[in-house]
Amino acid sequence: MAKQIVNAAPEAVTTGLVDTATQQRLERFLTYEAALMDEHQYDTWMALWEGNDIRYWVPCNDDDQDPSSGIAIIYDDRSQLEERIMRLKDKTAHAYRPQARLNRNIGGVVAVSREQDIVEVASNFVLGEIRVGVQNIWFGKCLYRLRDSGETFRLLSKKVMLLNNDEAMPNLTFLV
Amino acid sequence: MTTLIATSRDYGALIKEDRVHSAIFTDEQIFQDEMERIFHRTWLFALHESEVPKHGDFKRLQLGRFPIIATRDGDGQIQLLINRCRHRGAQVCEAMRGNAKRFQCWYHGWTYDSKGDLVGVTGAEAYDQKFDPEQHGLTRVPRVDSYRGFVFASFDEQAMDLRQYLGATLKYFDIMVDASPTGELQVKPGVVNRTRYRGNWKQVGMDGYHPHYVHMSVFKIFSKRENTTGSAVGALHLEDPFADSSSSRTRGFEYGHACLDFRAQRRPHAEQSIEDLRASDDGRRYVEDMITAHGEEHAKELIAWHGDPHLGVFPNLQLIHDHVRVVVPISPGETEVLMYPVFLKGVGDSINEKRLRAHEAFYGPAAAGSPDDAEIFERTQRGLIADADPWVLLGRGLGREEQDEDGSVAACISDETTQRAQMQEWKRLMTRR
Repeated sequence: MAKQIVNAAPEAVTTGLVDTATQQRLERFLTYEAALMDEHQYDTWMALWEGNDIRYWVPCNDDDQDPSSGIAIIYDDRSQLEERIMRLKDKTAHAYRPQARLNRNIGGVVAVSREQDIVEVASNFVLGEIRVGVQNIWFGKCLYRLRDSGETFRLLSKKVMLLNNDEAMPNLTFLV
Repeated sequence: MTTLIATSRDYGALIKEDRVHSAIFTDEQIFQDEMERIFHRTWLFALHESEVPKHGDFKRLQLGRFPIIATRDGDGQIQLLINRCRHRGAQVCEAMRGNAKRFQCWYHGWTYDSKGDLVGVTGAEAYDQKFDPEQHGLTRVPRVDSYRGFVFASFDEQAMDLRQYLGATLKYFDIMVDASPTGELQVKPGVVNRTRYRGNWKQVGMDGYHPHYVHMSVFKIFSKRENTTGSAVGALHLEDPFADSSSSRTRGFEYGHACLDFRAQRRPHAEQSIEDLRASDDGRRYVEDMITAHGEEHAKELIAWHGDPHLGVFPNLQLIHDHVRVVVPISPGETEVLMYPVFLKGVGDSINEKRLRAHEAFYGPAAAGSPDDAEIFERTQRGLIADADPWVLLGRGLGREEQDEDGSVAACISDETTQRAQMQEWKRLMTRR
């Protein structure tokens, strides 16, 4: 996310907080995560999350609206996210059938903080959605907390800041 | 203050007792006439007074075709001003909300205060003495009135008294307001789900027939949970309130208002709700404060009812679960829906936080409920275009309606009494001279 990158320690955007190999692994991982969302591979995507203390947050009205005093578009803990996945897979959830065709480009992957095996990563995306003859284009920035096992990453939290989160929006019936 | 454009169309023929013609959902000319005959003549919900608490606070909103600035003026009054400079017509306020003592038009610099009065004309010496600034303030919506913080507006100076318009629905407003032990609600400026669907504004009705089908996925998930306490669909607690065998009732009122009345269905669950509340400090205090404020019997009712009137006030307001919903027609086939979560004053933070989580679980563009509603409205709009057989059937339960003592017509929860009330009011307003 732009603000996180602007406010990060100077070395986050100069030498970088992670080495080149880790940067490449990060980019591959986020590309893979995007592909799973585009292809509606819900169970595989869900398996990227680690532990019970997770948070999937899509703020409403403002990128930082406090969920304790305002609403969110999505503010899921593990049990809520599991129910969301059930609904995404459910043929009687009409807004999800037919499924949208999705294509997203991700970029701007920058590690903005690192503490032992926990890395915070900012990124952004452009997402094209086509469903029942209507094309929507979504823009957003993400901030991830990931655990780095050295081989791969696991999601601990993900915050998605949609560019239109304070505008009248159509159904958001896929993973972002 | 509005001009009624004559039409030779017979709108009365489009509304029968048990059916309506689909043109009322799809026709461009009908939509334009709706703006003039309904939105510019009857009472509309504008905002909740807590959205502009202090002098200079303002909020922009849309009433019919008019962009409005709602302000709190220096006398503490709420003003509804048309956002159009009286000089050449540019909007004088672009921010959606904020605080400003002055609104300046940046075309030629004319300036208005929070009352709408014209307080600055650049190069005023160029106007002769006949120019009267007092006659050139921002145009005020002529009728503004409120009930317990809910501010309504009408462009018709001759509109009936607001209390008469709301009639028997007033006590349903009380259900939402009196869920606060101090009888005060807070609607926070800028805390709102804004959604848009490709369908007609009248689709956002008040429908007790659709939940089993439109929201089937929600029922399935609930059936997998051990309990549903804290879910937004409080109505789904413990037993199905949408079964015709339940004690839920659907109601139609005079002037097109409608309600899904879950009071009787929820009342037996008061003790359970109170027990759940007493598990936390904030909840325990809430129960005590409610009993102090309302007496034990009424406090129990109010707690059982969850502050949810499930009321639709024709044409643009709904009070549902934990939110105030505003319906904004954009075109015959496009509608914006604004959902403002309601905060209770005089309660612990965790009570409101729980209400927020309950709200966003069901409502909003990525939640469990709203997307399926929007999806069905869009499917309906696509279907309604095919008007070979143009009648839309609204006759369900016509033979089992009863007149209630409060003046409403009541029937089983799935009956289309609500839609019939709305459509008869539509007909009254659209055919009125």
